[in-house]
Amino acid sequence: MSESEPARIRVMVVDDHPLWRDAVEHDLAQAGLDVVAVAATGREALARFPAARPEVVVLDLQIPAPDGVEVTAEIVRQDPSVRVLILSASGEHADVLAAVKAGATGYLVKSASREELLTAVRRVAQGDPVFTPGLAGLVLGEFQRMSDEPTPGRDAQTLTERETEVLKMVAKGLSYRQIAERLVLSHRTVQNHVQNTLGKLQMHNRVELTRYAIEHGLDDD
Amino acid sequence: MFRALAVLRLVVLVNTVVLNLLRADEFQRPAAGAACVAVMIVWTGFTIWAYDDRERRTFPLLVADLAVALALLLVTPVVKGADYSSSVPGFWVMGALFAWAIHYRLVGGLVAGLLLAAADLQRQHIDASDYGNAFLLVIGGPIVGYMCDSLQRMATERDVAEREAAMAAERARLARAVHDGVLQVLALVQRRGHELGGEAAELGRLAGEQERELRGLIHAQEAVTVVGDAESVDLVAELARLEHGQNVTVATPGSPVELPAATARELVAVARACLDNVRVHVGDDAPAWVLLQAFADRVELSVRDDGPGIATGRLEEAASQGRLGVAESIRGRIADLGGTAELATGSFGTEWEFVVPRSSPDLT
Repeated sequence: MSESEPARIRVMVVDDHPLWRDAVEHDLAQAGLDVVAVAATGREALARFPAARPEVVVLDLQIPAPDGVEVTAEIVRQDPSVRVLILSASGEHADVLAAVKAGATGYLVKSASREELLTAVRRVAQGDPVFTPGLAGLVLGEFQRMSDEPTPGRDAQTLTERETEVLKMVAKGLSYRQIAERLVLSHRTVQNHVQNTLGKLQMHNRVELTRYAIEHGLDDD
Repeated sequence: MFRALAVLRLVVLVNTVVLNLLRADEFQRPAAGAACVAVMIVWTGFTIWAYDDRERRTFPLLVADLAVALALLLVTPVVKGADYSSSVPGFWVMGALFAWAIHYRLVGGLVAGLLLAAADLQRQHIDASDYGNAFLLVIGGPIVGYMCDSLQRMATERDVAEREAAMAAERARLARAVHDGVLQVLALVQRRGHELGGEAAELGRLAGEQERELRGLIHAQEAVTVVGDAESVDLVAELARLEHGQNVTVATPGSPVELPAATARELVAVARACLDNVRVHVGDDAPAWVLLQAFADRVELSVRDDGPGIATGRLEEAASQGRLGVAESIRGRIADLGGTAELATGSFGTEWEFVVPRSSPDLT
């Protein structure tokens, strides 16, 4: 092992399906990643998270309580630098969107191949959001919904024209490289645009949650 | 219902007692009059207690209630003399009337109303207001009875609806758990099969097909529970079904996109035609992407592939040979929906973009 080799990515796998959890763990370990913890339920995940200190959490949404969305919100609150990659079997729109709003930065359906999973974990670890076309479509729809139903007196987060354009291309299945070529931008700029859209969505969510808390007096105690 | 009646009984009791005190000089037999008022006070207290419990609301109680009211009306000539102008119980008889209406509904209200009206009209001089009061008794009883019946039926229907909604939600929750488990296994088989190769790869491919199929059905089923209107269709659910092919990815908003059924079906058919075209010209395994965006006034649908693009001149060539190419047929179908179709093709692939208004096209 030479010292120049990059540190192994520390990953935690949360899935209540033992076969599946083992398969993911096996794949990640074989590819040289460091699986520092596994968990079968939301409770286990939250209990093991602080000690394991993973960089990336590969998380199934449908787990025994607390569910994947709540786990995402809680671990991101504890450690804002952690990256959450959602791995969902059913890909239910509402759940995926909720998880992304709660702070997840990547989403894959479970039918993704081993290579796709590994690439996704590595990219998420670097801070790149992993968008499937499906997720991009959901996020586009969500921003459209927010601008269609503006709440009086409240500024909805809106996307710039460029961000919308980039997100639309992601939703149409273009890779970042293809988008960069078409728009004559650098690969990095395309990534930044995508990252910003997620950031805005999560910001909107935080603002909404804070407003809700204030309006309902949850900040009193 | 009987709680409200208890309040009404108190109100009419107070009214009757006060009126009797004010007209105390009308009584020919003041002692008997005082006894009548006492009976009303005691009986009101008793009935409020008695009707409070469902168990005690029996036929004998209702008969007794009505009998007391009738008796008080019938003894009025004795207490006040034959030539009285107002009966001793007055409006107090409402208590018994509404008890019958609430308990025995329309028929109960009618029976009690008729009996009370008959008893009230046993007087020597019947003027217009006496007749009016009697008429109100006969009308009021059945109306209150009828309304109680409707209220009861509505409450029952609401309970049933609430129960059904709760059951449907629970079923959906259970179904989600089951579906998720099945999808997990299918995805796993697909993944492992692919890695093992050989016959296992074939199993994996089949599992993958089923997984996509099931996911599409689940999305479609979700939409069914949201939409009850047969006239409109959720385009998101309809498009989700296109995903069953190995290489088609469908991206949509997270919430249903309602469109008139005919428009939605036509859009899906057009998308399918585009995808068929991809299979024919690019290859069976060629990946393709479908994107739906919904705006307040329109929907935008795009179908894209990564193929070599349509060779320059091929469309023109088809047109000059008098063949209506697939492209022209697609354009025509979108134009029929009042929308526009744009085709971009080149080395980057082929991309259709359709913009269709959300309201149905003017068919006149």
